Amino acid sequence: MMNSPQQVKNPSSSLKSRFITRFLGALTKINAEHPISSSSPTRIFQRYRRIKVASNKSMAYSVRSRRIWSRAMLSRFRSRRSAFSVRRSSVKTTNCTTSPPSALIKVTINENKIAKGGLDMQTDELRELVPGGEAMDVCNLLGETAHYIKCLTTQVQVMRKIVDFYHLSK
Amino acid sequence: MNSLLSPTQQIPLQDLQPNGNSGTHQAQIHNPQFDPTSSHDDFLDQMLSTLPSCSWSDLKSPWDPPKSDETPPSNPDNNVGFHYDEILASKLRQHQINGGGGGTTAAMKMMMQQQMMLPGRPIAAAGGGGLTMPLHNDIVDGSSFKSPNQQVDVTSHYLNLVGRVPCKLCTTVSVLDLCMGLIISHRTSLSIFTILRHTFFSLLHFPQRITKTLNGLMIHIQLFTSILFIVQGGNMQTQSFGATAGTVMNQSQASGSTTGGAPAQPKQRVRARRGQATDPHSIAERLRRERIAERMKALQELVPNANKTDKASMLDEIIDYVKFLQLQVKVLSMSRLGGAAAVAPLVADMPSEGGDCVQTTAGGGGSLQRNSNGNQPSSNNDSLTVTEHQVAKLMEEDMGSAMQYLQGKGLCLMPISLATAISTATCHSRNPMINKGSSSNHPLLQSNGEGPSSPSMSVLTVQSATMGNGGLDGSAKDAASVSKP
Repeated sequence: MMNSPQQVKNPSSSLKSRFITRFLGALTKINAEHPISSSSPTRIFQRYRRIKVASNKSMAYSVRSRRIWSRAMLSRFRSRRSAFSVRRSSVKTTNCTTSPPSALIKVTINENKIAKGGLDMQTDELRELVPGGEAMDVCNLLGETAHYIKCLTTQVQVMRKIVDFYHLSK
Repeated sequence: MNSLLSPTQQIPLQDLQPNGNSGTHQAQIHNPQFDPTSSHDDFLDQMLSTLPSCSWSDLKSPWDPPKSDETPPSNPDNNVGFHYDEILASKLRQHQINGGGGGTTAAMKMMMQQQMMLPGRPIAAAGGGGLTMPLHNDIVDGSSFKSPNQQVDVTSHYLNLVGRVPCKLCTTVSVLDLCMGLIISHRTSLSIFTILRHTFFSLLHFPQRITKTLNGLMIHIQLFTSILFIVQGGNMQTQSFGATAGTVMNQSQASGSTTGGAPAQPKQRVRARRGQATDPHSIAERLRRERIAERMKALQELVPNANKTDKASMLDEIIDYVKFLQLQVKVLSMSRLGGAAAVAPLVADMPSEGGDCVQTTAGGGGSLQRNSNGNQPSSNNDSLTVTEHQVAKLMEEDMGSAMQYLQGKGLCLMPISLATAISTATCHSRNPMINKGSSSNHPLLQSNGEGPSSPSMSVLTVQSATMGNGGLDGSAKDAASVSKP
């Protein structure tokens, strides 16, 4: 079974440490609720999904509502939780597995209409990637993307370290 | 002021000549000023001297030091000339507001100042001062001196005003009108001056009227001289004027010179910086662009391989990186399912149940692909060969889409030699799987003549690593190490 790591990654209450504590807590919970002994593909898949969601969720909660994308993700989680069982299989967006109708008001931004010379395609794509990006103008979108990238890299770093730790310890 | 304007005042014409401080200035001013028209200077002096003597001193006393404000005197008076001043002032202001070119502006400004000066200023003490005022103005005028047409506007305006003066000055008015008309018609400085000369000579024939309406005449004279100075324009030697201008005019001149061609227009135009507009919309647009540029720069530092200068390619890079990170999270969450025991079955089941989760990731990864040609969902068949077939199909069309498809599955292509090296170097338990994969792939994929640049890169290796960014080397090791029992 998975044990919490003995080492603390980062003592200060930075984003990383907050994420770590939350994520590990979620992981332990998952391991407690859904033991690994069952190795059927579906169960494993479920577990994978849960872990992924737990990772994203803990990151979003670590950021709280300071960012537009985190707010969007949190609202997605909350609305999704109610309809989780129904939409388990459908995978549309890359970031969040299921995308129920977003609670965000999709505002038509004038700046988006004023085409910046062919960059609309990329900005639209970026909007799809970054949660809550639909209702942002380009300027905010870029800022949110920067923070989102930073959070994602933190997530990946932490998860990788956990994996390394566990596999090394075995 | 009133004293100046009372008709009964006797203005000493001699005071027009060098007299006191202002007089000395006056001398300095007049002489160089009239140098180009020295004859006219004499003429003027002569003309003025022939007029009955009046005392300018009376005019001096009540006048305050010249101010640069433009409020006309509000003192009521029973003086024609005073009314005339007011009328002129109002008219000139109107004219000024109505617009006109720079030259007109300068002329009007000067006229305005004249008007301002006339009632309440010593204008360098009486006539001398009055005569000096236009000189001050000339310094400004000289800079913004424009075509005579605009002066003609002034003069025509003046004419209109002149026409309204009651008939006490009728003779003078008529004469003046005549001369103004001539001025307008001829439009050359020299001719104007000759006209003026004639005018004044004719005026001399009416001494009585002139005495009575001397104040008006003085006003006329001042205005005429101002017009005259306008006409002379650049000919005037303004340097000396500058010396005598005094602080009042200096201020206005300074402001006039700094603002360039739009000194006293009601709508001040802010001169824009070179190459930039002052329109509020464009300013906002500029700010927006700058903000976006700095955000892009911040993103450039975060994203690796950010040496692209083009904004579009930079955005592409950013998008790819975000997708890659999200994929990494997915894969990591897949691989880290608690203890080692959990990972092994996952790895082992990868080929078998890989279809299950890989299908979904393919579905999710399919959306990763910008071109959607690789998004044909394989059947729910868990075999790896399905993936192989898919990849082979994609490779026929476009290598990029094939790579993307693989990436979406968490797979990558690697040379056979490398795969064998890894397999032999790491562990033996994986060998069967890898060998199976490679051997099964080998004949299949090598049948494709085309493909990647290096023909050796035709092995499809099952890994839990991601694309070539070197992201999850650790997880590859994990997979290899985990399978050790």
